[in-house]
Amino acid sequence: MQYTLGVDIGGTFTDFSLINADGEITLWKEASTPKDPTQAIKKGVQALADLGDEPLSEFLSKLDLFVHGQTIATNTVIQRNGPKTALLCTDGFRDIIHFRDGFKPERYNIQLQPPEDFIPRYLRLPVKERVNYAGEIQIQLDEDSVVKTIETLKRENVESIAVSFLWSIMNSQHEQRVKEILAEKLPDVPVVLSSDVLPMIREWERTTCTILSAYVLPGIAKYMVELQDFLQENGFRHPMLVMQLNGGTSTVAKVIQKSINSLASGPAAAPMAGLYCSKRIDIDNVITVDMGGTSFDVSMVTNGMPSLTRDLKVHGMPVGVAAVDVHSIGAGGGSIAWIDKGGALMVGPQSAGAEPGPACYGQGGKQPTCTDANIVLGYINPDFFLGGRRKIDPELSKSAIENYIAKPLGMSVPEAAYGIFRIINNNMVDAIRVVSVERGIDPRHYSLVSGGGAGNIHAGMLGRTLDMTKVIIPRYSGVFCSFGMIVSDVRHDYMQALATNTDRFDLEAVNGVLKDLEDKAIQEMVEEGYPEGEVVLERFADAKYPAQIHELTIAVPNGAPLRDTDIQKMSEAFHDLHERMFTYSVRESSVDLFHWRVVAHRRVKEPNPFVSKEKSTDINDALKGERSVFFGDINDYRETPIYDGDRIPKGLAVKGPAVVEQATTTIVIFPGQSLESNEFGDFVLNL
Amino acid sequence: MSATNPIVDERANKTKTSFLSELDIDPITFSVILNRFSTIAREMTLTLEYTSWTSILALARDFSCAIYDAEPRQVCMEDALPVHTNSLHVILKSMVKAFDGKVYDGDVIVSNDPYSGNTHVGDFVTATPVFYEGKHMFWAVTKGHQLDCGAYEATSVAPSAKDVWQEALQLPPIKFYEKGEPRDDVINMYLANVRYRELLYGDLKAQLGSIWNGKRRMIELVDEYGPEETMRYVEAILDYADRRTSEEIRAIPDGKYFGEGWIDSDGSGNTDLKVCVSLSIKDDQIHADFAGSAPQGSGGTNGTQGVMEASAGIPILCAIDPEIPHNDGCLRHITCEAPEGSIVKAKYPAATAMATLCPAGQEQEVVWKALAQAAPERSSAGYGGFHCIPSISGVDKRGEEEKEWAAMFFNGGSGGGASKNADGWPLIMTSSGMGGLKIISAEMSELLYPIMIDHHEIETDSMGHGKTMGGAGIRIKVRPYDTPMACHNTGDGCSNPPFGLLGGTPGIGGGNFRENLETGQRDFCSAKGYMEIKPGEAWVGVSSGGGGFGDPLEREAASVCDHVRDGIISMETAKDVYGVIMNSDTYELDDQATRELRENKRDSREPLKDIQPTRPNAGTWAQENMKEGEQFLLDPLP
Repeated sequence: MQYTLGVDIGGTFTDFSLINADGEITLWKEASTPKDPTQAIKKGVQALADLGDEPLSEFLSKLDLFVHGQTIATNTVIQRNGPKTALLCTDGFRDIIHFRDGFKPERYNIQLQPPEDFIPRYLRLPVKERVNYAGEIQIQLDEDSVVKTIETLKRENVESIAVSFLWSIMNSQHEQRVKEILAEKLPDVPVVLSSDVLPMIREWERTTCTILSAYVLPGIAKYMVELQDFLQENGFRHPMLVMQLNGGTSTVAKVIQKSINSLASGPAAAPMAGLYCSKRIDIDNVITVDMGGTSFDVSMVTNGMPSLTRDLKVHGMPVGVAAVDVHSIGAGGGSIAWIDKGGALMVGPQSAGAEPGPACYGQGGKQPTCTDANIVLGYINPDFFLGGRRKIDPELSKSAIENYIAKPLGMSVPEAAYGIFRIINNNMVDAIRVVSVERGIDPRHYSLVSGGGAGNIHAGMLGRTLDMTKVIIPRYSGVFCSFGMIVSDVRHDYMQALATNTDRFDLEAVNGVLKDLEDKAIQEMVEEGYPEGEVVLERFADAKYPAQIHELTIAVPNGAPLRDTDIQKMSEAFHDLHERMFTYSVRESSVDLFHWRVVAHRRVKEPNPFVSKEKSTDINDALKGERSVFFGDINDYRETPIYDGDRIPKGLAVKGPAVVEQATTTIVIFPGQSLESNEFGDFVLNL
Repeated sequence: MSATNPIVDERANKTKTSFLSELDIDPITFSVILNRFSTIAREMTLTLEYTSWTSILALARDFSCAIYDAEPRQVCMEDALPVHTNSLHVILKSMVKAFDGKVYDGDVIVSNDPYSGNTHVGDFVTATPVFYEGKHMFWAVTKGHQLDCGAYEATSVAPSAKDVWQEALQLPPIKFYEKGEPRDDVINMYLANVRYRELLYGDLKAQLGSIWNGKRRMIELVDEYGPEETMRYVEAILDYADRRTSEEIRAIPDGKYFGEGWIDSDGSGNTDLKVCVSLSIKDDQIHADFAGSAPQGSGGTNGTQGVMEASAGIPILCAIDPEIPHNDGCLRHITCEAPEGSIVKAKYPAATAMATLCPAGQEQEVVWKALAQAAPERSSAGYGGFHCIPSISGVDKRGEEEKEWAAMFFNGGSGGGASKNADGWPLIMTSSGMGGLKIISAEMSELLYPIMIDHHEIETDSMGHGKTMGGAGIRIKVRPYDTPMACHNTGDGCSNPPFGLLGGTPGIGGGNFRENLETGQRDFCSAKGYMEIKPGEAWVGVSSGGGGFGDPLEREAASVCDHVRDGIISMETAKDVYGVIMNSDTYELDDQATRELRENKRDSREPLKDIQPTRPNAGTWAQENMKEGEQFLLDPLP
């Protein structure tokens, strides 16, 4: 193990986290180059090579792992600058994406324009065919109707094609045949089948997943192949890994096959970063929060497994595939505080972003933000903002709060600032509550892992409000996601539908499905270059009571083919989970099982842990000074000690009230709380 | 610097008279508590959605959750179904009255009684009081539409029911739990009187879980702020909504405005029944008087007090700033009345099983019309009747065991009306639902029930046209898999289509028929009525799109070309209604010809109508689509 490198493209910066053999981390930022994102990466790796006085080829040849997170796929969808895409669908069902689930948000807002269809109706082309719920063909594929669509596809110069037929999950013959015909007649146009990308019941979700896959595929394929070629031509000796939205990584070849996985993959690394830091101190139930400039992301790890969801939407369209469950609200350092028409104080979701930024930036932002409040309260050191790299003017913060909040509400400036602090905390607490409670999880039994530069001012208060006992603040909290990528497993998901019930369990058929999925998983992992012995397979199934509608995913015994005794185990697992989530179970009922899932992991070689070399035995060695900081318990400022976070020795506690500063983050320790640095250099805030 | 900034000054002046500062309320705690109530109502909603056992609750989301204070006044609702959330207080007041002084911690009171203020018998209400240190502070309440309620036929919305004894097992306010103990005998009596007992038991548990969850969270909230402080803020939350609503209503010109419309039929063959309203707006109060509406019908198509209060309220809540939190503070500005014995407010023991679908849709339609005369920019074109949403049922023989099945099938629902700034949405299903109902995926439908859906697409030219267009209507074709399917049509608005506003045109009205797949023979049916669909036959529904808003000649011509290219409207409609000429192969706009045609049309046409149609039975869909030898069944009975 020599170097591992995580590269995360963000809207403003491309982050690089390089870890050496001693576990020491080097952080580097390049301004992102949205028109050709590889430019920033090329510049960044060159800069990292220069830092070590190595030629690029030598530096790249020493890299064991290069993991890449990108926003190209997501931006393509949001900016709608992808290829001209068409949908082939079952005749009579052209409007699946127009009807959606029929739901209208903001029920009482009659001035809300309905969403535009992602693919216009004239490019949604019907094909005569029909399969029923049991996979039996009701109407044979009419190849003439396929040929007819090809005329339209040619005339309209369609550049990518999604094919999604009803019940293709039970019988994909028709989709497969259409692909053959298209390959022959339109050899240069990529074709994505719904039965390949998401063999799951519910046609809206499957169709939008297929459409999004087809839409991002050409751009992603070109970009990734080009980047990988550059790295390998310059000395990198391994396949490049790409972060996926399921929280695992993948080779370029594989992610091109399932391009949907490249969407929304940025925040997916957060729970892995959180888990990495928590499990080495024997905690495997954590809620990770990541507060940036504009948003606050919450995700969850239970028993060492990140929570996944199948309800993720991009641009209002469900992706359908398993995705790391990241709940995001508009609460960040740049969130704007405002007073509504009725005189109530609100914070966010509007953000001042990086331009013009908070009032204290002096870049023309007039309205006060969360950051401005934190400056007024003394939490942020105006002379040490981003490690002193950005000059800010605390007077601008003060006057913004005074003019926009304090005066209109008839309060003092500190009172108004503390009000902003409380409201944004409350918004974040509600976000955590919604996520945990929706999953049937009691947050009191979890620890909070706080990443992102802005979040650690608030973390102690969030944890306290939620009755938690510990907040873990990783050493790398400023580059949470790019670090998380380095410690994420290679992961692929496989799924097939087969309906059965615990009373009439079709053991043979289920074992057949599981074997097919596992054979495919192993084969593909081996093709990617991983020895069979390093691949870990896990089985899951979607289960429900026969009359029930919504399914829960349960674990299925791994390893050998299922036996009669396993049926009872799966049944019990479902009843238990149902009771935990929904307060009751119906033990006398049988259980329906529908989708069978196999997840293949290949454990990544973790970087060597950083070990703190700080030998001091006196906490005062880390003391930087004192300043006035506002605390709610006395509703006033008090002189408060300020510590240098990089110099806090292992095992010694900093007692609150106190503030700990590092170049990339500030931690506020509230009265009654204490902060320790553990042997890995991470902070643990005891509440 | 700030002194010269006009924005700051404007804001500072505006908030000098801040409602909250007058009330001596800390605006920060105010925001925290306001948001917390919303979070609690949302959690109640999620619990109900995820745990219920029937598609009508778990997928279609035909339910609502809300929080009341002890009085009871609405404190917070999750914006679920407007027809529920704007009227839950009526039934809850009856519950409070029924158990006056005998409401205990741990009680669960339920009811479906339309004459106690419930919307209709299909809606089942569960309520639990929230006590803190011995003091009754709040109610957690849910209302969920049940798949069955023990009617004489397998539907919870029987248009043909003659009286309350035919339409359902009537449950006046009754305790299912007392002091935390279940009354198993009473619960058992209830379950013994409904079909699909197992499913309804699952749904009952879901509705109980929801209110218990709400209760738990409210106690946590009071723990945090103390009972007195909490109630002080509840008062402020209501006042806040009150004052903001007041400000909005004052902006609407005072006056008396009239609206009228017609119900297709009462389910027993009587057609074109009038519903009308006289809407008085004075200062910050709105009163809706439905006097002059037709006498009550002889079937289940009759209104209730609950539905009337919701119907008067929904258009008004849509007309005010959508950011105002919805609670008693808004609702107290709206009052309504109707003569007892009219179709809007039937007299006991008349059946009212259909109330939330019809006359609800028509009641709201006339309020929208009256409101449009006062403030068209705040109103909407018509939403039409709630039709092509049959209750379907039968026996499923596909598995090893035969089983009874039933579903409310929302997938063919009607489109929404256009407003000044927005086109209508599809599948809005009247302003009772307002898009709060979800459809069930075709695949889930075919897996759960022995049916095949052969077609489910936008119906060309089904919507009203205008500067903004109504949401599209839908054509849907459903056939039984291998066993007969009972099909209860429970809608309205086919022969009385959703109105167009300020020159906008009405939706098509639409309709439905049974088709013999071999001979092609079709039997058309009114929006209400029963048909059996045998294997080899199909039920086909064509729902209406919503009404259009404003002059169609002002709609952006390029978007009209796109609609023709997409098959949403026809080339003829583009030319005749929108005055748009385009190339018939490329759909490219002919700018010059369009400008000339639009000019000609403007010069030669009659003045635009504010509202159309203004007469009963204006829907022509059935006449236009029926061929010789095909019959039209009016309100056929089982």
